[in-house]
Amino acid sequence: MTSPAIRPFRHLGFSGDICALALKNLALSVVTLSIWRFWGRTLVRRALWGKTTAWGDPLEYVGTGAELFKGFLLALVLVYLPLVAGFIWAQTLIEAENPLGGFLILVLYLLAALLIAAGSYRARRYQLCRTLWRGIRGGQTGSAWAYAARSLLVWVLIPLSLGWAAPWGEMWLARYRMANTTFGDRAFTCDARAGNLYGRYALVWVSALLLLGGLSLGIAGIAAQGMDEEEAAPLIGGLIILCLPLAVVMVGLPLAWYRQGVMVALAAGTGFDGCRFKAEIGYWAMVRLAIGNALISAMSMGVLRPWAALRIFRFGCAVLSVEGVPDFAAVHQGQDSGPGMGEGVVSVLDGVGEF
Amino acid sequence: MDGPERSSPGRFNDGRNAASRRVRVSAVPEGLGIRGEDGFLVAVWRLGDVEREAAPGAEVRLRCVAEPAARLTLEDAGFADWVLPPTLPRRRSHGTLRMVVGLALGALVLLALAQALPGLSRYLVAFVPVETERAWGRSMAQGFESRFRVCRDGAGLAAMERLTARLAQGLPPDYHRVTLRVVDSPVVNALALPGAEIVVFRGLMVDMEHPDELAGVLAHELTHVGERHPTVAVMRGVGVGILVTLVTGDASGLVASAASALMAAAYSRDDEAAADRGAVALLTRAGIGHAGLAAFFRRLDRQEGGSGSLVAWIGTHPDSAVRAAAVEAAPLPRSAAPSMSEGEWSAVKSMCGG
Ligand SMILES: [Zn+2]
Repeated sequence: MTSPAIRPFRHLGFSGDICALALKNLALSVVTLSIWRFWGRTLVRRALWGKTTAWGDPLEYVGTGAELFKGFLLALVLVYLPLVAGFIWAQTLIEAENPLGGFLILVLYLLAALLIAAGSYRARRYQLCRTLWRGIRGGQTGSAWAYAARSLLVWVLIPLSLGWAAPWGEMWLARYRMANTTFGDRAFTCDARAGNLYGRYALVWVSALLLLGGLSLGIAGIAAQGMDEEEAAPLIGGLIILCLPLAVVMVGLPLAWYRQGVMVALAAGTGFDGCRFKAEIGYWAMVRLAIGNALISAMSMGVLRPWAALRIFRFGCAVLSVEGVPDFAAVHQGQDSGPGMGEGVVSVLDGVGEF
Repeated sequence: MDGPERSSPGRFNDGRNAASRRVRVSAVPEGLGIRGEDGFLVAVWRLGDVEREAAPGAEVRLRCVAEPAARLTLEDAGFADWVLPPTLPRRRSHGTLRMVVGLALGALVLLALAQALPGLSRYLVAFVPVETERAWGRSMAQGFESRFRVCRDGAGLAAMERLTARLAQGLPPDYHRVTLRVVDSPVVNALALPGAEIVVFRGLMVDMEHPDELAGVLAHELTHVGERHPTVAVMRGVGVGILVTLVTGDASGLVASAASALMAAAYSRDDEAAADRGAVALLTRAGIGHAGLAAFFRRLDRQEGGSGSLVAWIGTHPDSAVRAAAVEAAPLPRSAAPSMSEGEWSAVKSMCGG
């Protein structure tokens, strides 16, 4: 079945509105010693979701600030404080030169990494369960711990494979996330593979290697001059600073090309009710989006990150198309009404970023 | 104008599936009548149950309390204005002002907690078992042993231990046996660890001119021990970390701050004043007198202005002149007994091969 691809998504939000909201949130956060941030984040999401339409009808975000706050407090008490106590205990063991201390630190770091991965998966479930379209809830199946174990495996394999496991690992995790994403009682399907990405990834890898090689040659050259440390240090520092813009061009541009490939492959591999997604992403448009958002976040010291998020929504809506129209009459409300509170662990350990 | 026949085209989602059904909405006596394109009545919503949802464009989106998952979109905003009461509740309009006032009150509670933290940790420390505290202090002391050479010169150490035991008689029974460690470091410092551990740096003895000065500093540190100040300081450090996490939402610095609180254990001014008062009491009880402690503070005061970078004690114990005056204000015991014999003092002065 081949149906014409249409672009069913629109984003109708204005930059000025979201910036005004971001500034209002800043003011209220100052007044409330930042406790407002949970309610502020909720307002930002409501604005972002509510201005996004699919097939003419808007998304709704129905999460509340109180849920986020509860989740944060619970994670602080049940997860975070025991972890801190463990780290303090390990620290005293290390001070006492007890070999158990190092082992304990290792275990705790592993546990913290698992908790961050599991927490981010649960946060995604919370956001999806609080997203409605035409009154029907989104959702997420799958196990947070299974996802965390997979993430850990990927994090271990990437350095072991000198980076070559990264495209495979990224797609493996993305497949797990997407195939466990639901709308109503239907799951999305995802068969995106990393195979076609390795050409682009090789370019990133080789250019990074060239840059590092050149840098080490330069440092070795300075060292060979036989200067003492005091003279050589500013030269090496200058060399590294000179390399920064070079790194943006030599590694950043190929990396953007790789990211473009990832997003196109992910969209093409994802489907709902037999209809496939498609992303037509212009390379320079994507580079502009990334640089613009980095500048917005940096210049405003994070205050205007909701604006950066809006730009991402707008971009996503403009590039995503769907082949055919799913049979929405056959999609029923799901049974899972979602967690009672939101995002606990990530909001303590990591922060959920712009939205 | 169509008068009573007035109606609006719209889209209806029944909340059971994701289909969008084209409907025509008109005013009926019960409220809003929603009819399919075939003319059959799909639903009737009571006006009192209707709430307004945010909508991105010029359309009006409604929901009904009786069917919370269903949505109705009116494409004719004019009809909506005509049929809907002007004070239609907006869903989740939760009074931002009330909310902010509530949260600001919450922030005040946080500030109050931060203010109460020293008192609170002093109260909570009663729940830490002495044995736990000791194990804690022992492992920290072993940390010093791994970083510095510990001086075990028989005669000097024995003299200091005798003096410490004599002063400790004035403490609660749990703290009569205090472990004293002298480490080979030029730093002018002495510190108390959780449990019953005191660490003295060699530089302190080099700096001192009379054994009574040493007795004064030992009595000061012993009071910290007896009042469990090191444990209180650690708990305060952890508490500060928790409050900072609550405010910033970023917990990454908490481990570091807790660990540093553990090691640096900065006391509050109240703790220091209490330790000075306790020191005078211990010195008086031991019959030594506090003239040595006061003399030590006077000399520190002279060094505070100078390049006394080696005097680490000043960093954690400022305002030496004020403290000297406070110590001198206490009455002296009638007959001051020597804290050490000449021989013992020279053994102490020559510790660590100094
Ligand atoms: Zn002190």
